[in-house]
Amino acid sequence: MSSNGKPKIAFFDFTSCEGCQLTVIDSLQDHPELLNVVEIVQFREAMTEKGEDYQIAFVEGSCSRASDEPRLKKIRQQAAIVVALGACAHLGGVNALKALHPLDEVRKYVYGDKADWYETYDARPISAVIDVDYAIPGCPIDRNEFISVVKALLLGKKPPIPDYPLCVECKLKGNVCLYTKGQVCLGPVTRAGCGAICPSFGASCEACRGFITNPNDNSMREVLIEAGLTVEDITSIYTMFTTYQVREKIQQKG
Amino acid sequence: MAGAKAVDAVYDVDPPRTEKMLRELLYSAYFVADHTTHFYALAGPDFVIGPDAPIVERNILGIIHKVGLEIGGKVILARKFGHNVIEMIGGKIIHPCTSIPGGLTKGITEEQRQEIEKMGHWAVELGHFSLKLFEDIVLKNSTYLDLILGDIYTHRTYYIGLVDENNKVNFYDGKVSVVDPEGNRLGKYAPKEYTDWIAEHVEPWTYLKFPYLKKVGWKGFVDGKESGVYIATPLSRLNAADGMATPRAPEEYEKFYKTLGGKPVHQRLATHWARLIELLYAAERWVELATDPEITSDNFRTIPTEKPTEGVGIVEAPRGTLTHHYWTDERGIATRVNLIVGTTNNYASLQMSTNKAARALIKGGKVNEGRLTDKGNPFKKLCIQIEKASLGGLSLMEKLIDADQTIIVDAIDTHQFPKGTVRIFKLKDLPDLNSGHTASIHDTSLANAIEVGRLICWNLINIFQAFVVYLPAKQSVLMLSNCAI
Repeated sequence: MSSNGKPKIAFFDFTSCEGCQLTVIDSLQDHPELLNVVEIVQFREAMTEKGEDYQIAFVEGSCSRASDEPRLKKIRQQAAIVVALGACAHLGGVNALKALHPLDEVRKYVYGDKADWYETYDARPISAVIDVDYAIPGCPIDRNEFISVVKALLLGKKPPIPDYPLCVECKLKGNVCLYTKGQVCLGPVTRAGCGAICPSFGASCEACRGFITNPNDNSMREVLIEAGLTVEDITSIYTMFTTYQVREKIQQKG
Repeated sequence: MAGAKAVDAVYDVDPPRTEKMLRELLYSAYFVADHTTHFYALAGPDFVIGPDAPIVERNILGIIHKVGLEIGGKVILARKFGHNVIEMIGGKIIHPCTSIPGGLTKGITEEQRQEIEKMGHWAVELGHFSLKLFEDIVLKNSTYLDLILGDIYTHRTYYIGLVDENNKVNFYDGKVSVVDPEGNRLGKYAPKEYTDWIAEHVEPWTYLKFPYLKKVGWKGFVDGKESGVYIATPLSRLNAADGMATPRAPEEYEKFYKTLGGKPVHQRLATHWARLIELLYAAERWVELATDPEITSDNFRTIPTEKPTEGVGIVEAPRGTLTHHYWTDERGIATRVNLIVGTTNNYASLQMSTNKAARALIKGGKVNEGRLTDKGNPFKKLCIQIEKASLGGLSLMEKLIDADQTIIVDAIDTHQFPKGTVRIFKLKDLPDLNSGHTASIHDTSLANAIEVGRLICWNLINIFQAFVVYLPAKQSVLMLSNCAI
């Protein structure tokens, strides 16, 4: 806690596009009152100063090389609460797609005969490296959800992240189900909380917020097969943001 | 946006006019929001408040203090309006979700159009206001003008930028125009021809690659007509075009070159002025598109009929030309992807600017913090520390704690390279010759020392970026006596 009694918070980035941190900046423009109750001590995207005595750490980005791990562990050591910010930190995100190809091939594709110069490994969520207290899902995170999570943390409450499928929000919005229009959508197994933006604009949900705790995978598979998808098609749409989780599921099943 | 165009190309489908206008409208609003933020919150404070002012004053709050409270409100409103348009057309501000092969998932209503038009008129006013502010504070001050025209921030490179069929600046569509350091057009390329024009160079000390002009070739971090280094920025877009196509931006375009001594302008600080001219252009384009009778048409998608294969999409991002190249299988699932994102185009030039500015502004190892963090320096947070070390192993490792990147310059006789040449190695590539021991029984090799430091959880996280420059010694004896000083 700083001398003015405000909790100190810090933002960190790993492998990511920094879109979640940009969303944080936007959300603070809508809710400048939040700056009266916290002190931001580190936020590379927004400020030059750097403080190391933070209580809450928000981490954007996945861990994509071994040498990122000590930095993550140091953040865990310092912060009382670590929050994963967005799909890359929460799930591994699109970075984890490279796990679908042999690592050497990926490196050679990008760097040619200089591939050996570059350190990398399969991208993973930060929870694969350190204990994470909470995750704000999404690609990018939702502005309002970020504010409500920070408010909950300041009150000592558990952040209100939904654990029900996107279809709930989609139905509340009165949208016509995309399956009835011949489209495919991962809404039935995806965590709600974004307000079903993509289906509301006629685009399929790609599970950027990750799966709910107990998705009905068997039923989902039947729906997708009924929609005419092959096993390869299902694998493709299931691995856009959630390659790491799908691989974990496969490993658990042996 | 480049991705959306690349997907159209993958499916070989030409979207209807309304769709193209909607995407360009979204993009114009995005440019207004981004350019406003870049100027007022990131770069402008250094200019408006002064390059030698203390860092703590050089931010958006400092601008509010100097120019007045209403400017802060304008910046926030520009972002809000820009974001409103993006949300209306794209669903999400970051990673819009409405683009599909051949078009968009939805169009806009007449009610939305009116709202968009109203915000556009406000944005045009903001463009004029910003250019006036730049003129009053910067151009009428000879110190600033000298700073812009000075040599520290000048590089004579090639310039690229997207242009329409009349060679006028366009952010969304057209061909990429390439001009040489004398302002002569080397040619124009369509998106699918980009591999004939652009190649990528790699260096061991960075993950980011260095795109360069293939036809000229990579000659290292140097400028001039023989070097393939180019930039893709607001400045380069103006240099690569013959003018602008909206009502009032052309006057500002002409004034820019008249004031700065003709085309092309090589002074990198002029980028901020160019950015404000682009801000006005984007706002005017926003209004043009919002008032087109076809913008509310329902014809916002062409259903693709071809099998997906391969495609390239190019647009201008606020900080550079954005190229997306996708290859897919017959289901449209991506099998390969190549992206050249905005700032990457400018990476070589950024290195050169940093180098030149550092040489000019750091004297005897002393850093004038004001100048080093001003917008003239491409890396605002640059802090270079130079240390002489006579010992290796543990004591050298202790000097590396908390550094973002380390360069170790050493001299050694390897018997492998000609005497006096410079070689660059990554630390991990060097042999750990005596199995981790040095001559002293209390010390160890640098590689071992770093391992020890990491075990104690010291901040040696970026040591993998450390690289070693070897200057093979002409005489080993001389080297030893120098090291003993």
